Amino acid sequence: MSVVTEEEVYKAISTVIDPEVGFNLVEMGLIYEVLVLKNGHVSVKMTLSTRGCPLHQMMIQWVQEAVVRETESDFCAVEIVWEPAWNITMADESVQESLSNQGIGGN
Amino acid sequence: MNVTRDFAPPFTLIAPFFLIGTLFYVISMIALFALGSEVSFADMGTIGWVHLYLLGFVMMIIFGAMAQLVPVVIEVGHAAVDFFYIIWPMLTVGTVLMVAGFAFSPALLPYGGMIVLLSMVIFAADLFATLKRGEHKSIVVSSMKASNIFLLLGILSGFVMALSFGGVVEIDPMHWLKAHVFAVFGGYVLLTIMGLSMVLLPMFGLSHGFNDKPMLWAYRFMVSGVSAVMIGSLIGLEWLETIGILVVIASVVTYFYQIYLIKKTRARKENDIWVKSLAFAFFTLAIALFESVVYLLGGSESWIMSAGWFLMMGFVGFLITSHLYKIIPFLVWFERYAPLVGKQKVPMLNEMVPLRAANAQMVSTATGVMLVGIALLFGSDSLFYSGVSVLVVGAVYLLYSVYTMMQYGKEVL
Repeated sequence: MSVVTEEEVYKAISTVIDPEVGFNLVEMGLIYEVLVLKNGHVSVKMTLSTRGCPLHQMMIQWVQEAVVRETESDFCAVEIVWEPAWNITMADESVQESLSNQGIGGN
Repeated sequence: MNVTRDFAPPFTLIAPFFLIGTLFYVISMIALFALGSEVSFADMGTIGWVHLYLLGFVMMIIFGAMAQLVPVVIEVGHAAVDFFYIIWPMLTVGTVLMVAGFAFSPALLPYGGMIVLLSMVIFAADLFATLKRGEHKSIVVSSMKASNIFLLLGILSGFVMALSFGGVVEIDPMHWLKAHVFAVFGGYVLLTIMGLSMVLLPMFGLSHGFNDKPMLWAYRFMVSGVSAVMIGSLIGLEWLETIGILVVIASVVTYFYQIYLIKKTRARKENDIWVKSLAFAFFTLAIALFESVVYLLGGSESWIMSAGWFLMMGFVGFLITSHLYKIIPFLVWFERYAPLVGKQKVPMLNEMVPLRAANAQMVSTATGVMLVGIALLFGSDSLFYSGVSVLVVGAVYLLYSVYTMMQYGKEVL
């Protein structure tokens, strides 16, 4: 069985973009934990930027599909957690800077 | 519990609410030409216009938005989502009959009132059944419960008034007017907006870690204030009415403070059409509050007419239009592009907003709202009709923007 690395999983999840803000889930700091099990299955613990996010279920599905599509793993379990609650300081500095700049991504 | 795709109503169910609501908005703006700067709130023409705008535009859009947002807030699917297929046709027919009743023949009012009442009972039935299924407790859920009780009380009191206008029952409609207005506008529209603000503003602005206690107090003030006004007006206790009105004003001020706290913690600083429209909405809310206080301190009727205008067209109108630029792209994206994620390039939500038309809508409507608000205060017809002309231009831009967003990516299906 081929070995999947955590790095590969993060890279796979970074292909999932939040359509509202335009950043990927990894740079948003929404991925709390990635575990690669001995059998090659992947377990992801993540959160969402808001509890009432209408994309809740879709996000889970997109992460699962991205991991299976972009890595050698054939199974990914995703758990959504609300503790610790996400805040902007968990996002990459580049994201924080972009969000702070007026007009970025604006309409 | 997850909000699954199954919980999200299909776009075909929600789209008519937004399209018909916007059409009613355009008609409402054109209908303003039939009024003038010295209208009174007791004129049948004014009452007819208020119903055209509030039922046709405000209620229609709120109901459509609630079809989408209720599962998100309560974290459970609708108890009877198919009810929404009959709500919008009933609300449309009921509104047309009621407005025709006010404008041409009061005998139509009981019929229109009955159909509107039924559409809202159906809406409330789904909401309460859905609330019963949900376990998630929050101030938003509480405000939804309370606002829908006020909606039913408000519509029932309105129906009694419609029967009276139609000559079916004999009551003094003016005695019921305050109870009706405060239940529907304060108890339902404002309380619903307050509750949804706690979900939508932090979600789109990425605000976190703010104190949400002011919203709890705003909720308590609004519920007790509206109740006091209703009881006071129905049993003729003027002092209770006055206390109730003051408590409602306290609620709006507290809500204002809550919005300030949310804005202060906003991580997303971009000033898009949503932010600019919201800024104007809260600016006009401040004007409305100021004018209401002047009226209560002995100002003429023109102060409260202008305050009502800024509250309805400025605050409520802009809160709704600002969110149309968020909710419609999301619904269209969810329907047409969500299944394509990972398979092909999909657009970002802000790319789906027709930028120039949306900005033109915002600027022209804001200009029109200010002109008419000032015209009502000083009794200037020339200013009034100038403002209405600009509002009609803004309404056409809104219709174009809504239609364009709804058509976006239709070819991908």
